[in-house]
Parts: sequence; C-alpha cells; structure tokens
Amino acid sequence: MSRHYSAALPVAFVLLRILILLNWLGGLAILALLTATLVAEEWTLIALGIDAADPIRPVLIGLRAIAALGLIAVPLNHIVLRRLLAIVDTVRVGDPFIAANAARLQAIAWVLLALQLLSMVIGGIAEAISTPALSVDLDAGISLTGWLAVLLTFVLARIFAEGARMRDDLEGTV
Amino acid sequence: MAIAVKLDDLLHDRRMTLTELSEQIGITLANLSILKTGKARAIRFTTLEAICAELDCQPGDILEYHADAAEEAQAA
Repeated sequence: MSRHYSAALPVAFVLLRILILLNWLGGLAILALLTATLVAEEWTLIALGIDAADPIRPVLIGLRAIAALGLIAVPLNHIVLRRLLAIVDTVRVGDPFIAANAARLQAIAWVLLALQLLSMVIGGIAEAISTPALSVDLDAGISLTGWLAVLLTFVLARIFAEGARMRDDLEGTV
Repeated sequence: MAIAVKLDDLLHDRRMTLTELSEQIGITLANLSILKTGKARAIRFTTLEAICAELDCQPGDILEYHADAAEEAQAA
C-alpha cells in the first residue's frame, strides 16, 4: 500500500469516532430540549427568553415535529458512521475488497436515501410554519449534492461487490 | 471440479518434493499446495510454464479433464 495514504486513515478513524460521539450528544441535546418543552413548556420558553408575544409561540408544534424528526436522524447517522468506521478498519488491515464492505456501502446508501427523505419532510415543515415575522431557515429540503451522494454510494456499493468477486477470483489463482 | 491436477504423480515420478519445486520455480509452497490439492480456481500461464520447464513436461501432463465430474457438478 502506498505511503501517501497512510495519514488519511488514522485521521478518518479518529474523526469518525468523534462524529459518532457528537451525533449522540446532539441527539441528547435535542431530546432534552424537546422533553423540557413538553413537560414544563412555560418554564422552558421563559428560560430561553421567549415571551408571550414572541412569534415562535404559534409555531411551537411545528418546531417540536422538526425536533422529533431530528431525533430519528440520530440513529440513522449512527448507522452510516459505524459502517464507515468498519470500512476504514478493513482498509487499515489491507483488505477492503470484501463482500461485507459492499453490504455496508449498500446499507449506507439506503440510510442516506432515508436521510434525504427526512430532510425533505423537515424542509417542508419549516417552510409551512415560516411567516414573514419568523423565518425558519434550517438548511433542510431537497439537496442536489445529497441526492448525488445517495446515487454515488449505491454505485460504489456495486463497484465493491464486483471488486470483492474479482478479489476472490484472484485469491484462487496460482 | 472436473479438472484434476496431477502434480503429485509428476513429482513422485521425478523423486521431487513440493518444497524443492517451490524453491526451484520461485512460487510459494502455500500456492503450490493449493494447486496440488485442486483448490485453485485458476492457474497463470507463467506458473504453468515454470512447472513445465522444471519438470520437463507438457501442460497436459499436469492437468486432466474428467467428464464424469463435470456432469456431476452440473447435476448438483
């Protein structure tokens, strides 16, 4: 293996582990906030500096729906990051062209597809509850690069499946 | 597999061990064992050439096709 890539793998390994942790921490923060607005609505809103006349109040139900959908994204992100970490691990070992990696990429592609759909629903809700007084801008909705990533991952999964098959053939060649 | 590898017979005739052949032609003992036991999925021309040159034989002396085994494999 080329020495050129030797630094990228440990960096990816550490970065993915950090992202896995941040994903759960972010999820916990959303869960805590969502629970607080449900259990002690008035107290939480005042603590956040939202008074009775704030334009956020009428759209609170929509924001709760967005937060709940955001919570669904947490385990989905976890699946992607875990699979990616496992793939990076096989590259470190020096044998990435295995059927398991093709399956992992396939799983990642399906989850990315689900995340894109989730993002569209969140974007839709954000647009529905936005008013001239309160613009809910969440960077969610239809993302061209996101859909391209879905397509690319599906193609990559097929390439890995083919690569694994060729690798198998090569292993049996004397 | 309908293709049988007769490397064992050839080595026996020439009073040669697999290890000696491995050292002579520069192919690992592990790979030659895979070939000898019929577990190989493919054989390179270069490997075939090296074995033929060392054992002074033809590819047909090393490989043999069994029609019965092919029919059994298709039926299975």
